[in-house]
Amino acid sequence: VRIIGTAERKAAVLSFAVEGVHPNDVGTLLNEEGVAIRTGHHCAQPVMQRFRVPATCRASFAFYNTMEEVDALVSAIRKVQKVFG
Amino acid sequence: MADSRQLYQEVILDHNRKPRNWGTLPDATHQAEGVNPLCGDRLQLSVKLENDALQAIAFEGESCAICKASASMMTTAVKGKARPDAEQLIQEFRDMATGKLDTTKEQHHLGRLTVFSGVRDLPTRVKCAILPWHTLHAALNSLGTTSTESDDDPMHEPAPGGVA
Repeated sequence: VRIIGTAERKAAVLSFAVEGVHPNDVGTLLNEEGVAIRTGHHCAQPVMQRFRVPATCRASFAFYNTMEEVDALVSAIRKVQKVFG
Repeated sequence: MADSRQLYQEVILDHNRKPRNWGTLPDATHQAEGVNPLCGDRLQLSVKLENDALQAIAFEGESCAICKASASMMTTAVKGKARPDAEQLIQEFRDMATGKLDTTKEQHHLGRLTVFSGVRDLPTRVKCAILPWHTLHAALNSLGTTSTESDDDPMHEPAPGGVA
């Protein structure tokens, strides 16, 4: 898993790519696990070209999210990697 | 609601890993490029039409697993087929993906392509599955390029009141 955007004081918005899996496929499988993220260009095609990715996955965290929900995201990503093995 | 783990079946994952008929045809008679500007799927399709049959077909591009597997399985399904039969498959696949054709109740010629029937319940993924078929239709009709956001896309609906 590659994190895209690693500024020191970045906002609680995390863009990432799962190696070998298109973000749209990641999004559909995460949805199945009850985890809602956004995938695609995010209206920012030039940035996608800059980072040489077809699109990105993007998870946003807010004050109401819990650590359990973060763990759910991580284990769902692990599941995606397993499916695409 | 379809189970997307069912959609990501071994056959689809296999065609994603090892796409069949990958590449371009140097002696293609028909070509088209299909793009989905919203998600970035893009594929180039070349066809060699001879005696009104698809003697050879190849594709390449960059896309998600659903799109790539759909393209790969499409090429194996239409290769060698007469053009009208290919056109019929295009129509049936579109109807299946958009929910107009119930492959469990109605007659069809889709065979193994029914593994994509689950996309009808995943509105964001329907276009991924349809794009290769849309592109084949464009190639056979010498349209050159096609986009999932163009007016002739089966999924495209004009804005309310006809305002673009």
